[in-house]
Amino acid sequence: MGRKKKKASKPWCWYCNREFDDEKILVQHQKAKHFKCHICHKKLYTGPGLSIHCMQVHKETVDKVPNSLPNRSNIEIEIFGMDGIPAEDVREHERQKNGGKSDSDDDEPAAKKKVEIPLSAPPPMMMPPNMMPPMMGQFAPMGMMTNMPPMAPMPPFLGPGGIPMMPPHMLPPRPLFPAMATTSAAAVNPAIVPQKPTFPAYSNATISAPPTTNNPSATGNSAPPEGSKLPPSVPTGNATGITSKIMHPPEDLSLEELRARKPKYQQKLTSSNNHQQRISTSGSMMQNHNAAVSSSSSMTIPTSSSTSSAAAAAQAAAFSKAQEVSAYHRYRNHSQYNY
Amino acid sequence: MRPTEVKLNNCPEDAISAVKFGPKTNQYLIASAWDGTVRFYDVVNNAMRQKFVEDMPVMDVAFMDIVHVVSGSLDKQLRLYDVNTHTETIVGSHDDAVRCVEYAESVNGILTGSWDKTIKLWDMRESRCVGTYEQSNGKVYSMSVNDEKIVVATSDRKVLIWDLRKMEEYMMKRESSLKYQTRCIRLFPNKEGYVMSSIEGRVAVEYLDPDPEVQKRKFAFKCHRNKEDSIEHIYPVNAISFHNVYNTFATGGSDCLVNIWDGFNKKRLCQFHQYDTSISSLNFSHDGSTLAIACSYMDEFEEPPANVPNPVIYVRYVTDQETKQK
Repeated sequence: MGRKKKKASKPWCWYCNREFDDEKILVQHQKAKHFKCHICHKKLYTGPGLSIHCMQVHKETVDKVPNSLPNRSNIEIEIFGMDGIPAEDVREHERQKNGGKSDSDDDEPAAKKKVEIPLSAPPPMMMPPNMMPPMMGQFAPMGMMTNMPPMAPMPPFLGPGGIPMMPPHMLPPRPLFPAMATTSAAAVNPAIVPQKPTFPAYSNATISAPPTTNNPSATGNSAPPEGSKLPPSVPTGNATGITSKIMHPPEDLSLEELRARKPKYQQKLTSSNNHQQRISTSGSMMQNHNAAVSSSSSMTIPTSSSTSSAAAAAQAAAFSKAQEVSAYHRYRNHSQYNY
Repeated sequence: MRPTEVKLNNCPEDAISAVKFGPKTNQYLIASAWDGTVRFYDVVNNAMRQKFVEDMPVMDVAFMDIVHVVSGSLDKQLRLYDVNTHTETIVGSHDDAVRCVEYAESVNGILTGSWDKTIKLWDMRESRCVGTYEQSNGKVYSMSVNDEKIVVATSDRKVLIWDLRKMEEYMMKRESSLKYQTRCIRLFPNKEGYVMSSIEGRVAVEYLDPDPEVQKRKFAFKCHRNKEDSIEHIYPVNAISFHNVYNTFATGGSDCLVNIWDGFNKKRLCQFHQYDTSISSLNFSHDGSTLAIACSYMDEFEEPPANVPNPVIYVRYVTDQETKQK
């Protein structure tokens, strides 16, 4: 339909079959992904350029274009953006886009897509494992035992990190990803492709990816809500064997709080306590205007009549209340009129 | 030609909690540390000009003006230092450790955030607290102020947005979009949103305007992670600092790395070399020409490194290429 036509005209990368909204971005992509020297990270302009650079500068041979599809790794061909793509491949590409959806055609891109997916897929794998350790360590054992298979139970019990709250936020972007991952881009879904890949740097850096990928039922569009509960299940379905580890103590306190518990600081805290109190009281007498007012008013209480003491107390109360309620306005007034 | 990076002499002897440049200067820098010191550096001459010593770990510092510095410490006190006269005064206290100190230029006051679950506004001319504001029962972990806007990140993964002109109540309360504990939060220089980071190698870019169109632009991304032998190590992102001119920002993680990002185009602009140890604080000078990088190990790892590197502060003169959106 309309979509497909649009797609056909989009610039695409010969090396990885990815499409872009803009040729400029395509060129950026090629420089970053395919023409970057793995040794010094210099970005070259073409495949041959890269090979010559590596040969001359580093004395190394590069026989394949990095991050390319298996059949598109030829480093000899000079391609820059959309220029230089072999005519037959252009035609092939067009044909695929224009609905020439023969099986053989479709298989290819699917396969190609898959090559790319791992980029965005690892997140799904990695994420959940993240959750696992703390989870397992502290709470999970029980939950796991008593509740059904490992997959399902976790999510609802995610209490500690308050994890469940997040999905709603992230939902909008999320559905896109699972769809892409699970359907294996069978139909190179146009809505999806341009979304993320435009930003190579981020393509595997987006939060939306993690959750649903491993959930077979996520294929349908009905999945997202379900998916939002499912993410934690993924850890067990960790297909790639990649585990991840958060380099932070399991306890949900800030590093500073944990550090403050160290005996050497605690000692100081207690030892300086008395000293501190002395300082702070004298300090408040001299510097804290507020304290000075209230303490002086309370000083007068014993000597003055009951009415005035009540008034003083009321005044003090009113004072502190007003201060709490509209501190800012008081503050402004003060600065305007009193000082 | 001056070197691109200078290692400061006389660095703190215990973990560095904060480094901040003075207003309108990239010459003067203050640093607070767990050894109880607040140090005042002249970066250009690489000299420590002044050192205030407390007995208690200092959790944060801020410049009020070029000669007045305030600090918050574990002993709950807010202190004011005069760099010229080398005097210090206790301004007041919280009911728990003071975690954050910021200068609120628009009201010429000081804001403190504490583990006692409040923030306080202080009038420094009178040395008194002029307001205490509850943070929805969350300890203050990080805070950022820009003109009238305040964002506060708390221990229960909430973000509270306040307006200094109307402090009766917070403007908004949001759930953090990151699943894990918040490490740092910073307002955009244009106040339209904020960037926050968590202990789980992730950074979120959020917008204040609740309009769905605007909200669509928010995103989060992974960073400060590395994979070794099929184990992915995910590091806390401890520090964020904005480049006031280009609106790009730097993040520092426990992976000893500093990255600079272009949040609007979702690109990483550069990554510096690996530093001695975890990055605990970062601060761009007001003109973005200089980045202060504080490195100190904060006991984040299960197995501590064989020999814990000494805390150290670097001052890096960054280039446009490293910080400007392309």
